[in-house]
Amino acid sequence: MEDTWGQFKSFEGAKFEALSADFTREVSSLIGGQDLTACFQCAKCSAGCPVSDKVNIQVHELMRMLLFGLEEVLETDMVWLCTTCYTCQERCPQGISITDIIFGLKNMAFKRGIRPKGYVVARQGLFDTGRLYEPTDWEREDLELDDVPEFDINDIQKMFKKTGLLELEEKEDA
Amino acid sequence: MTEEYEVFLGCAIPNRFNNYESSMRTVAEALDIKLLDFDGASCCGTVVLKSIDETSWLSLSGRNIALAESRGHDIVTPCNGCYGSLKDTDHVLHEHEEQRNAVNEILKELNLEYKGAARIRHFVEVLYDLRDKIREKIVRPLTGLRIAFHPGCHLLRPSTVTGFDDPELPRKVDELLELTGATSVSWTLKLRCCGSPLLITSEEVATQILREKMESARDAQANCVVTNCPACHTQFDVQAIGLKDSAGESLELPALFVTQILGLAMGLDPEPLGLELNRISLDPIREILGIE
Ligand code: SF4
Ligand code: SF4
Repeated sequence: MEDTWGQFKSFEGAKFEALSADFTREVSSLIGGQDLTACFQCAKCSAGCPVSDKVNIQVHELMRMLLFGLEEVLETDMVWLCTTCYTCQERCPQGISITDIIFGLKNMAFKRGIRPKGYVVARQGLFDTGRLYEPTDWEREDLELDDVPEFDINDIQKMFKKTGLLELEEKEDA
Repeated sequence: MTEEYEVFLGCAIPNRFNNYESSMRTVAEALDIKLLDFDGASCCGTVVLKSIDETSWLSLSGRNIALAESRGHDIVTPCNGCYGSLKDTDHVLHEHEEQRNAVNEILKELNLEYKGAARIRHFVEVLYDLRDKIREKIVRPLTGLRIAFHPGCHLLRPSTVTGFDDPELPRKVDELLELTGATSVSWTLKLRCCGSPLLITSEEVATQILREKMESARDAQANCVVTNCPACHTQFDVQAIGLKDSAGESLELPALFVTQILGLAMGLDPEPLGLELNRISLDPIREILGIE
């Protein structure tokens, strides 16, 4: 078992000097990101979030960090401990696509090498086999289920080569 | 009228919940729903790939949709993860021209194109439409069964994408379950995520969430948990094995799939309902379920 995920555990003692307008712009261009400035910090998102009591930076705080252009947000445990349950997005009175924005942050963090190991393993597995898990044949035989339909892994790899799935890492981290 | 769908199984069901597929097929047959093989289906990508790289996820998932579309078929899936992934992809590709063009550029090499004609449904949506027919087929009432039904996140949210049920007060699957004479209890944390997506990041946090869920089910005096998703079921029927509260009391509850409950109440052959593959013992409710 691992400890709570993420290097950036608390605001305590943290100093934020450089506010990056570029970063805020980058986040705003994500799917769902355009509404960033509408957040009025009501914290309703955090009130229903299943991990609010398990992270040090809650989701409403994350939203404010985005607006302030604090790139440290990518190191908060909220990014990878977000279960993607969409409760916050469903309830936000300002209609902000919070979860979709967090997906974008996960993508950005992944590229910079800030990510749990399991995701790196899953990426390789998806590239190699096109699946996350393999069928359990004896169970299927017992229940008289047919084989799972087949596909050509070359098709999948052709796509992933085009999207550059295996080389997402930004140069300076590579 | 026979309804016809290509059935998208995903990876988790054939890997560890073949009883879900088998019970789904058994119920589908009894209700005259035709399930066609989904030739060429890969992983849906799920929130795992979406978290890594949006374009790769849209491509993988878009390819699956385009395959069914090329054969003129609609899609049904019994998995919330696959459902969320397919619906969400469909939504993004429909709404965002830039992404649609990018994905179609990639699909072109495979002689496929996403146009958005295939309808994507969860198996419980199809069942809900057939509730009158199901009501007529109930022969073995499950009186005394107190179900903590866990709808799961991606069946309900974001409601602008799934559009299935009230996202804050869902009742549709509960209504199906109550056709059997069982009670779908109201429990405080019913709508809360099961925590399963965190198994890849932190098993510790995933388990904390599960413990909270199970305590809530216990407080509501449920005698079983029912799901319609293999990812959620991994929490309730695998990770919950041996789970205890802070006082050391067991938090295990029998965990079943919606299709197993309906199949039993419809008096269908118990063999293909696959109950012997449920991992947490069904002993406390065997009598109510009418199984040996
Ligand atoms: S619910 Fe919406 S408006 Fe309120 S703090 Fe969260 S993101 Fe901001
Ligand atoms: S989607 Fe993520 S941030 Fe939003 S409520 Fe769920 S876990 Fe919390």
